Amino acid sequence: MTNKYYEFFCPVKVIAGKAALEHIPYELSGLAAKRPMIITDKGVRAAGLLNPVIAACEESGLEIVSIFDDVPPDSSTTVVRDIARVYRKEKCDSIIAIGGGSAIDTGKAVNILVSEGGDDIAKYSGAGVLKHPLKPFFVVPTTAGTGSEVTSVAVISDEKKGVKLPFTSSFLLPNAAIIDPRMTLTLPPHITAATAMDAMTHAVESFTCMAKNPLSDAYATAAVKKVSRSLLGVMDNPKDEDGRLELAQASTMAGIAFSNSMVGLVHSLGHATGAICHLPHGLCMSLYLPYVLEFNLESIREPLGELLLYLEGPEVYSATPAARRAEASISAIRKLRDALYKRCELPRTLKETGKVLESQLEAIAKMALDDGSIMFNPKEVSLEDALSVLRRAWA
Amino acid sequence: MLVKRLQPMISHARRNYVELMFQVMGRALQAISEVDETTRKETRALPDGFLFEMQVMPNGPKLIVEHTGDGLLHYHSNGAPRAVDLSIQFKHITHAFLVLSFQEKTSVAFANDRMLVDGDVSLAVRMTRVLNRLESFILPKLVAQRAVKEYPADLHLPEKLMSAARIYLKVATHFVETVRA
Ligand SMILES: [Fe+2]
Repeated sequence: MTNKYYEFFCPVKVIAGKAALEHIPYELSGLAAKRPMIITDKGVRAAGLLNPVIAACEESGLEIVSIFDDVPPDSSTTVVRDIARVYRKEKCDSIIAIGGGSAIDTGKAVNILVSEGGDDIAKYSGAGVLKHPLKPFFVVPTTAGTGSEVTSVAVISDEKKGVKLPFTSSFLLPNAAIIDPRMTLTLPPHITAATAMDAMTHAVESFTCMAKNPLSDAYATAAVKKVSRSLLGVMDNPKDEDGRLELAQASTMAGIAFSNSMVGLVHSLGHATGAICHLPHGLCMSLYLPYVLEFNLESIREPLGELLLYLEGPEVYSATPAARRAEASISAIRKLRDALYKRCELPRTLKETGKVLESQLEAIAKMALDDGSIMFNPKEVSLEDALSVLRRAWA
Repeated sequence: MLVKRLQPMISHARRNYVELMFQVMGRALQAISEVDETTRKETRALPDGFLFEMQVMPNGPKLIVEHTGDGLLHYHSNGAPRAVDLSIQFKHITHAFLVLSFQEKTSVAFANDRMLVDGDVSLAVRMTRVLNRLESFILPKLVAQRAVKEYPADLHLPEKLMSAARIYLKVATHFVETVRA
């Protein structure tokens, strides 16, 4: 391994814990921002999650100049253009994105337009197009899963052309991510479970895929430990603030891990399944994770075995012979999925979702082979391989 | 002292090697697209007239092939006739050398941030599969195993077509050993 080389980058200030939201005014003023715009969706507003943010700002004499609360689940170039227009009209000077993956991606894309100018976001699609820092940008995640608050990627669909435009630049990273347990307290059980399993998958894949490195490993193992320790407790007691904060931090840590070391086949299959069968991303992650680990097993035996310590704790780890640890890690993940199924019927097989036809498996496999994340899977995947994983995940 | 005097020679040698390898690969890509159905299955999904480039940043050696239809690739030895559609760019000639001298797998180089993709990522994934296929064709099995994640079980070598490339490679391997030492 003399050629081993890696890069690790995460310049996002993480502001986490009790009363974290109340730090927003101070952080904004540190960047000379006085006229923030909030970008969010209807669900976040209906859940009353904007109130503590607005109150925190008003108490410091900082006015939220504009609130756009109509981000759709699959954000588009038109939405981005419209929000940028409002931003300019209201003379805003900074953005606070509050929500899940879509609101955050929209915030990133709007920031490109209002910083670089123009109405056509498609112009900035691709990698490394941006050459300058953008406007002050804060992210307040309201789900604990995507890790979008620490990734330098945004995906926006171009409805006219029917394609998804990717944007990649380290300038898309927010200046700060604010993790406050109040924001995830009201997440319904099935979303709590699915998004936590997305975070778990980010951590497990970044720890077992090709671009793993010592720094991302540290974040990944810590994230696995937090999800394993806190998820079921939160499922049983949704108002558990400490547990919620643990999951939210796990999600950010897993985000830092995978944005530096990428993900693999679970995500390739998940992206394809999401596109073809319209299943939520976190659900797909939870569903495919053990089957993909079984497929990759002989290429990842060592790192997967190490994860047992974080999945099950030191007693189980030391009581398990080294040669059996990788299998035991897969069993631990299966056990967690069974426990989640009991609590909120989070599907464990494609059949259990009730939304996938057996005849669609081939199309899913084909699409997965073209997904960028497959490049980082530790084992080469042929069409036959992808199909056999899907068949095992069927029932 | 000696290092100082040798350095320019080594870097010159590397550059020549990378240029030579791009030429070999360009011709070999065209050749396997003509004889290998597995390759064509991948390349057929590319748009007609699609231009693919591998380049060393910022203005180093490059390799350009065009999909002329039905999975056939055409090697452009004199540069691109128009703007390319997909570009895989090595950050430095050293990284290109690592990959093209089979000291670092293409997929590892991606994972190690040695190169960037400019263009549609799903097409880049496809081209990586084609390059893997190519490497397992033209390289002796032992070297190929180092270059690709898995050596395909179904290789039927079109010996004649590939022998030319192999001769290049012998030269190339010799080159590597000289430069590495
Ligand atoms: Fe994910």
